[in-house]
Formats: sequence, structure tokens, C-alpha cells
Amino acid sequence: MADPVPVAMGQGSSCWGCFQSLVDIHLRLAEVLPAIEIKYWQAVADFKLHHLESYEDKSIVVGFFEGMARTEEDIHLLKLMREKCQILIAFGSCSCFGGIPGLANFSDIEECYDVKFRNNKTVEGGEVPSENLPGIASVVKPNSDFVDIDIYLPGCPPTPDLIYTAVSALLSGQPIDLPPHTVCHYCDREKKDTPIEEVLRPYQGIADPDRCLLEQGYICVGSSTWGLCEGQCVNMGSTCRGCFGPPPPITQDHGAASISMLGSYAPMEPEKIVEEVKDPLGTFWRFDYPTSHLGRMRIKREEAKEK
Amino acid sequence: MTTSSKAKTDSEWEPRIVAFCCNWCSYAGADLAGTSRIQYPPNARIIRVNCTGRIDTEFILSALDQGADGVLVSGCHPGDCHYTSGNLKLRARWAVMAEAVKQAGIDPRRIRLQWASASEAQIFADGVTKLIEQVKEVGPIGRSWV
Repeated sequence: MADPVPVAMGQGSSCWGCFQSLVDIHLRLAEVLPAIEIKYWQAVADFKLHHLESYEDKSIVVGFFEGMARTEEDIHLLKLMREKCQILIAFGSCSCFGGIPGLANFSDIEECYDVKFRNNKTVEGGEVPSENLPGIASVVKPNSDFVDIDIYLPGCPPTPDLIYTAVSALLSGQPIDLPPHTVCHYCDREKKDTPIEEVLRPYQGIADPDRCLLEQGYICVGSSTWGLCEGQCVNMGSTCRGCFGPPPPITQDHGAASISMLGSYAPMEPEKIVEEVKDPLGTFWRFDYPTSHLGRMRIKREEAKEK
Repeated sequence: MTTSSKAKTDSEWEPRIVAFCCNWCSYAGADLAGTSRIQYPPNARIIRVNCTGRIDTEFILSALDQGADGVLVSGCHPGDCHYTSGNLKLRARWAVMAEAVKQAGIDPRRIRLQWASASEAQIFADGVTKLIEQVKEVGPIGRSWV
């Protein structure tokens, strides 16, 4: 067997669920683990940040970075990972697009502090902590603004199968060949091309298990979402919320594409569609607000405030 | 674009508008406005599309992101679409997008949707004038950024 490949796992601000999903490859771990040598992984191996700092540049072959970079420590770790790793993988939607933590950009940092610390419902006399903690960036910027990323593996989380495919290709030195299809490609539901009369929320009515959810009026963004999940949610009866982001090229504006798609399906009166589609920004840009056009404008505005 | 508008003072600043016009109604309407010698401000850069139904929401948001001060979409009246329902699709998209634009903190006066048929040169010209007035009230889009 070839020598194990040195890998490092960096974790930014996130729920850590993506690495959980990595562990979920279960018995196949028996194949993967002997082929890798873990050089850094806060949650699993007892390496400290100074160990990572002490490695030679580019001495680690593959680096996985999970989560987005909100605190100064995250930003430092992200840049450090880039220095030390030959291939840096943005692992999960937070790392690729900003993800759920990117929704913080709907509000400015002071509003976030108010909710989290100052007026937190469960705390009295709360104040923003400043001691022994890394500073917080005023706005969530996508990781790709800080460093160059070689491979994007989106998903919230990336599925174990996807991880296994990608990791085994990487370890054997093969290119990672991912199918470009959207979620609809994997969806077994029947489509009849009927326009939507009414937009429904998930709790309304009972959905026909065999027909396209969007055609029944439930907002499903599967047609504008990269189907690396192989349609897990839609085939189980839940609408697609777009956690894998846009299909390749993944620099597209996912939310804008979803709205265009919805408009084509539901050519309704404007007042009616506005009434029925609640919270468009949160619905269509749930996982990729920081990399979208509207999100970019927000970032520019917040940065201008700082100056 | 933003840098050049920053260099100018406000009195010199003229808004830059991207106008998407459908081939069958508004583009012809804009053409008629020209041949009829109707006066309207020269700030709009017209982009012809075959139908407003072709306009992806991304076109509009991308224009704003790249520094356009305002975006105008002009198409056939509902019911008059050359392709039967293209403008209805845009109308629904527009409604949802306009909400998202408001939520994201962009002044909704920067965007305008209007219907102008091939014979309504005056309506087209008035629409452009109206949008430019609105955008002048809001100011350059780059002001708050750079």
C-alpha cells in the first residue's frame, strides 16, 4: 500500500456537521482511514494550532475547510490552511457560499450583537464579551474572498456518498468528476407542466406523493440546485431548499435563478404572489446569500460603513 | 463604474440606467420615440431581448451589483405578449424579486417595471424620465459602498 496521504481538517464557524457526515461513511472508513495521515483536526486529533503553524508550507496534500470565517481566528486558520495545503477543499455549503451562518448578513453586526448578547431573552444585563475571545468580523464574507479554493464540495452537509466519491478520487490521484445535473434529474415525481394557481406553504394541504411538488404549489428549488444529494429530500416528500447551491458553474446566483424558475411556473398576479411567497430573501438565498449579487452589495455596504 | 461615479461630484453625476426592452413592443416603442423626436434623458442604455420572459432575475441583480444606478424593464402589456405569456412570467418574477431587493436593503426606487407597446413612444420616454428622477433622489449606488 502507498504511503498515507497527509491531510488537515480545518473548522471555521459552523455546526461541524460536515465532518460528522465524513464520519458517516461508516464501514468505508476502514478503506479511507489507512490511506490518510491526519495532521490536524481540532475535533478528533490532539494537534494544536501551533502544530499546524509549524508544518512546512505545502507539506499537507489535502486540506478540508468546513464552515465560514466569521471570527479572526477562523480567518487566520483559513489562511494558514491555504499556506500549508497543496489542495484546499471548501467542504460544505458554509465553506462554499457562506451557508446558514451567512444569513447573519441580513442584519448588521450591531443588530446581531443586540439579539445574541445585549437583549438576549435568557440573559439579564448582557453585554458583548471582549476578553479571551477572537474578534468578530463585521460581515460574513465568502471564504473564496480570503483565499483561493481548489475544489468546492457543497452540501448541508455533503452526503457520505459524495464525500466517499470525492475522497477516494483524490487519494488515488484521479480528477473528481461530479455530475452537473440538478435535483430534478434525480427526482422520481411526475411532471405535467401545469402552471401553479396558488403558492402553498409546507403545512398547507396534503401533497400528492407522486407529482412534482412545485407543480402542486410548494416552493421547491430543486430545478436550480446542484443534485449531488441525488434527490434525497424530494424523493422522501420534502421540498428542496437548495442546500447544494447552484449547479456548475457554481458562481451563478442561485436565488435569482430560483425566482426566475418560480416566475415561469407561477405567472400569477403580482399582489397574489407577493402575498403567498413569504420572506423571498430567506427562501431563495437560504444557503448562498454572501456569494449572491444582493449579498455582495450588502457586503460592500457593510465594509463602507467600517471606513 | 463605481470608481468613476465616485470621482465626480454630485452635481456632475448622472445616473447610469440599464434598460431591458422586449423586441416586439418596448424596443419598437423606444425606436418610435427616437423617430418621433420625443425628448428624454440619455442615461438609459437599452439592451434588447426577444421577450421580457427571457429576463432572468440575475440580469437585474447583476446589473445593480456591477454598479448600474437603476434598472428598467419595459415590455408588452399583459395579455399582449408576442409569445402569449412571457411578460406574465416576468411580472411574477419581478414581484418576488422586488420584495427581496427591499429586504436586502436596496432602495426599490432603483428598479422600475413598465409596459409600453410599440406605439406608446411617449409612455416609454416618460417611464425612462420617471426612473431617472427616482434614481436621482436616491443618489449613486456606489456612494454607500466606496
